[in-house]
Amino acid sequence: MSQQKKEPVSKSVVVKKLNATRAASIYQKKWFFEMKARVENEGLDFAILNADVPMEIFRAMDIPFVVNQWWAAICGAKRMTRKYFDLMQQNGYRPDLNSYDAQALAESFDPDDHKLDEEGHPMGPWGGLPKPTICITRLTGDVQNKIYGLLAENYQADLYVMENTVARTTPLNWYELTADRWEELYDSDRLDLAVEELKELIRFLEQKTGRSFEMKKLERVMHLINEQESYYKKTRDLIAECHPVPVTVVDTINAVMQAQWQRGTEWGVQHAKGLYEEIKTLADKGEAAVPGEKLRMMWLGRGMWQDFAFYQRFEEKYGAVFMWSMYLAMGADAYIRNHVEQDPLRALAARYIGMEDFIHMPPWNSSWFVQQALQNDIDGVVYMIPDNDIQAVEGSYFIKKNLEAAGIPVLAFHADPVNPKKWNAETMTGMVEEFIEKRVIPAQKAKN
Amino acid sequence: MSIRDCALQSRAFSALKQVYDSRDAVAAAWKAQGKKVVAKLGCDVPDELVIAAGMLPIQIYADPKKTLQYTNQYLEHAFDPQVRAQFERMVDGTYQNLADYIVISNSTDIVIRVFLYLRELKRVEPQMPIPPVAFIDWLFTRHQLHQNRNQFVLNLFKQQLEAWSDHVITDEEIRQASILCNENRQALRQMAALRHGSEVRISGSEALVIIGAGLFMEKTKHTALVRQVTQEAQNWPVLTGPRVFYTGANQEDLTLYEMIEKNGLVIVGEDTDWGERSFDHDCNLEDPAIRAVADRYHFREFSAKKSLVSQRVEALDREVGACGAKGVIFYTNQYDEVATWDMPKQRKSLEAKGIRHITFGKMNWPVEKNRGLEQQLAVFAAEMKGAVL
Repeated sequence: MSQQKKEPVSKSVVVKKLNATRAASIYQKKWFFEMKARVENEGLDFAILNADVPMEIFRAMDIPFVVNQWWAAICGAKRMTRKYFDLMQQNGYRPDLNSYDAQALAESFDPDDHKLDEEGHPMGPWGGLPKPTICITRLTGDVQNKIYGLLAENYQADLYVMENTVARTTPLNWYELTADRWEELYDSDRLDLAVEELKELIRFLEQKTGRSFEMKKLERVMHLINEQESYYKKTRDLIAECHPVPVTVVDTINAVMQAQWQRGTEWGVQHAKGLYEEIKTLADKGEAAVPGEKLRMMWLGRGMWQDFAFYQRFEEKYGAVFMWSMYLAMGADAYIRNHVEQDPLRALAARYIGMEDFIHMPPWNSSWFVQQALQNDIDGVVYMIPDNDIQAVEGSYFIKKNLEAAGIPVLAFHADPVNPKKWNAETMTGMVEEFIEKRVIPAQKAKN
Repeated sequence: MSIRDCALQSRAFSALKQVYDSRDAVAAAWKAQGKKVVAKLGCDVPDELVIAAGMLPIQIYADPKKTLQYTNQYLEHAFDPQVRAQFERMVDGTYQNLADYIVISNSTDIVIRVFLYLRELKRVEPQMPIPPVAFIDWLFTRHQLHQNRNQFVLNLFKQQLEAWSDHVITDEEIRQASILCNENRQALRQMAALRHGSEVRISGSEALVIIGAGLFMEKTKHTALVRQVTQEAQNWPVLTGPRVFYTGANQEDLTLYEMIEKNGLVIVGEDTDWGERSFDHDCNLEDPAIRAVADRYHFREFSAKKSLVSQRVEALDREVGACGAKGVIFYTNQYDEVATWDMPKQRKSLEAKGIRHITFGKMNWPVEKNRGLEQQLAVFAAEMKGAVL
């Protein structure tokens, strides 16, 4: 049943938490502790990966790993950022640079990471990372070499870096090509190189860990990912169609992001399916995340990990609901690669080489944001630009220009998503309120 | 006085200084003759191929006096301020007039972003006065797979130059251009030897002029002038004072070097692309033409932007040792901060060798905007003199 312009049938309570969000939080903790115990008890190799490293290979080879950016979010949630800032400084490093990517590095300086406090509580986040034996990044930014090189030195782990290339061909409708027509999306030589890089990575991992790589296992992982991401696509499309929306980014960001790091597993598929079904049930009942929804807001930029409540501050006063973030939509549009069986490595290459570019490279990001804003009937966009990370500088002029040319007001502001020292909730709230009052509401009135 | 009378009295040095001071003059004259000019951004655009295509390569530079009318509109402030000022000249019509093409190498994240922005700007605002832009997407990891890829990348650039010049570039033309560039680098290394030896005959500021002029003029003329200056400089007075090495942000003018030298420090080397890194490593003429050029850019001294901390620690130790510096000045501009990741370990390694250092981070650009810099340099110089003398 289409949810097209469906009116709420009842005054529902605001949906603050989905079961799927709770389930993801519970699972990731359980998974981490089990994985940590396995690594420490069995003396297994353990890898820390940058977010754009093709984790599918590790999944297929059953090599335990965490993703650096996922871990940074855990560190943030465990209120480690201030301590880690101090640790960076004490070790001679600028604490204000690339703070999001450098959380694990800061942790590696912490002599108390695996200790318990006087009350018996772990001092490191979740008792600290197991000691990595492999650190892997892609050179999608100058700083990657530095952070991962230092991380590997501190942990006496093996460093492995994968190269990155810049797209010459940039079809604007990338999101229509990713699933089936990736050969049209990318320059073939970039794909060729990425496949060779994957083979080199596999060779390295086989030698390092003694584990064998099997193509069939990768194929299976890739199919599971397709299944999981297909549920995200259904979920994104469902939310886009709902008026009012049954959930906000507060629910979807965590539910999707936490599960995204588990992609390629049965759990990931079941969780994504559960997320879809739960939201579908809410939608079918006409539930409104924000009763009296008036304004549909899009969030651009990294999640506001240290202040998730920020997203909800505008609901009561303005009926403004943050209903779009890249986390769910990337799952929907960026990950699926069909016909994996024809060449699993090439399909994987076609996934990982574009991931950074879809969100950080004009014109791919700006054209997609407009398409998404239109699909989701967005009334206003709040765009957080990190002010200390060139890697996340992504052509804000073009993004703003494209969105505003499509009739959608944009508030662009600078902030650091993991640095509480640079975050002023009152100032930011006031800025968004002013934006809503002066730009979003008038634009919506003019549109109607 | 950082540039001494002995240098100014040299006709060869004066000719180089004239080019350094009036950087657009040679390109303008070249264009007036109906020949083509390529403006380069990033330190890895191979002159060898541009010259083989019959074009003049010139380096894009920042004008500190220019208002950033367009840059403020298009670029975020997370861009290095010097690059922001370079960007202004790329979009305000300066290089539309001065050059036929812009070529950008992926030497840093920031210039990659500049390429992406220019490409998009030309697409969405085609009326902007920006010449055609090409991009060179090197891989810097030292691996055979990447070495082969770099030859592919260079061939793409060669094809672009052929299209622009309407001329098929032969291997022999590349080889001849490589010889010219090798000779130029060798001449510069001979010049640099007069900074590194037991007696220092060329100051840092003088060296910046000699090296920098080469970024804006024909290689053969530059080589001849460098050789002439090198010969004359062997009789220039010996510079005395504590020897320091400079590492960090490119210095496109003499302001900082003059400030350092005013305090009696002698800059005997630097690892910047407007300094000695620009003439490190030659093309191996025994290799096939493209391979020789690709390898030259792939295997030269590690840049701060594209290497591991451990590689940069070793590189700095090597360079400081080679020029006999007793002190190191670290200097990075705000938002040009990749090198700061190297510094804690670099400083530690220097300290273990008894080499003093001073760090200036998050600096404003241009140099004059930094209050207290001169005083801090004076204190460092006094410490150095106390330690050395």
